[in-house]
Amino acid sequence: MSALIIEARIAVAIARKDAVAELRGRHATVSTLFFAAIVLLLFGFALGPDSARLADAAPGLLWLAVVFAGVLAVNRLHLLETDDGALEQLALYPVPRRAIYAGKALGGVAVMLVLGLVVLGAVGVLFAVDIGSAWAPLLATVVLGAIGIGAVGTFYAAVTVRLRAREVMLPLLMLPVLAPLLLGAVKATAAALAGDPFGELGAWLQLLAAFDVIMIVAGAATYGYLLEDG
Amino acid sequence: MTDAGFVIAAYGVIIGGLGLYVVTLWRRIRAARKGR
Amino acid sequence: MKTRVLGLVALVAVATTTVIGLFVVPADLNQGDAQRIMYPHVASAWLAYLSFGVTALAGIGWLWKRDLRLDSVALAGAEIGVMFTFFAIWGGMMWGRPIWGVFWQWEDPRLTTTALLLALYVGYLLLRRLTDDPERRATRAAIVGVVAAVDIPIVHFSVEWWRGLHQTATIASPDRVLDPAAPGIFILTLLGTVAAFTLTWMYLMIRRYQLAQVSLAREEAARMDLLMSVRNAEVAR
Repeated sequence: MSALIIEARIAVAIARKDAVAELRGRHATVSTLFFAAIVLLLFGFALGPDSARLADAAPGLLWLAVVFAGVLAVNRLHLLETDDGALEQLALYPVPRRAIYAGKALGGVAVMLVLGLVVLGAVGVLFAVDIGSAWAPLLATVVLGAIGIGAVGTFYAAVTVRLRAREVMLPLLMLPVLAPLLLGAVKATAAALAGDPFGELGAWLQLLAAFDVIMIVAGAATYGYLLEDG
Repeated sequence: MTDAGFVIAAYGVIIGGLGLYVVTLWRRIRAARKGR
Repeated sequence: MKTRVLGLVALVAVATTTVIGLFVVPADLNQGDAQRIMYPHVASAWLAYLSFGVTALAGIGWLWKRDLRLDSVALAGAEIGVMFTFFAIWGGMMWGRPIWGVFWQWEDPRLTTTALLLALYVGYLLLRRLTDDPERRATRAAIVGVVAAVDIPIVHFSVEWWRGLHQTATIASPDRVLDPAAPGIFILTLLGTVAAFTLTWMYLMIRRYQLAQVSLAREEAARMDLLMSVRNAEVAR
């Protein structure tokens, strides 16, 4: 039991280190937020100006913007580590690898959470969608979606961070894996906004939760190999 | 296009693709062995 | 030598089943001649999944045993799997146009799943090309291959739900040929094609594995040459 607590402490310490770096330099969050806002604006141009159509498409646009911006965010989060060989240092610490993974993922999830909530608000304003009346299921969807993108992103950022063609390879590897998450999150959001007329909301949230658990387990189990010689 | 056209397109690409892959595979192996 | 015999047997088997599928078996009563596409289509899909299963298992094997031969098996599976995935999608599209009226049917979970499968493993192959060090390449590839394999059932499940939760699809299923009520000759032709394609797959896997091994040896030789030339330059100085 105490070993688990120690691992959790290590994870939190790593996440806090990232958060401090983030707050001092504002590397990832601000630029990706602007990116997400621009994506939303361009979706509006591409599908508008019919406001009924935009409101219909809103769940899909929301999650596409979050996923696209999320790819940028996780990429920047790991870049932080390679600039001065910090990842190699991290790998030298005699702590369980899954604790390091948990710490990096925690940082990623936090960034995704901020991103998801801001984009959700922006979608509410821009596409005239009433998010206030269904805030609880929407919040649950954003939290589960953020965990999934953070967990998968941390893992793939570690795979690609040392590659020359990192900017292309990260989305190329990550986006197809995220397809079920996108599908579940869009469906859950749409169901929540419509007042869940078919009673399917719970099923989609369960799918998201299952995706999150499976990806976290896969990431924690393999992250050590990546630190060692990935 | 008639049904037969689609059948020919499907078989042509699949069987032809298999053949093409085998031939390129042979050439790749030969090139790799020679290059040493 | 044995591999050559296998290749010959596979060639004869594919040629025979192709002729049977195209000319000997009667056309399906409902689907007409388009039904003939199902034979290579189903066989390709089966081998695509088999290949990616092999890639995932070989990847786990590499992480466990640290034997680069296993990584060569994983590479062979991925490359050949991508080819068969493409064949499966192509066959599905050529079948879909005359039967469904469209090349791409979003309501068919298998088609959409297979398209994502293609994207996952094309990414896998690209990742391999971008890494020079054989052991790093093997590790990265193994991990990506395992996660991709884990993702496949989730994708399939979610796409199935995606379609199923709000309406029941009333589309012809590609699997009609596997229907127990289907005439025996259809099932026999399908099984024969699957067997012929599987023999071909075995031959291709062996050859692709051999190529991977030769390439590895060459990479190693090139590295040794470089090392020697650096050392010689130092000795000369």
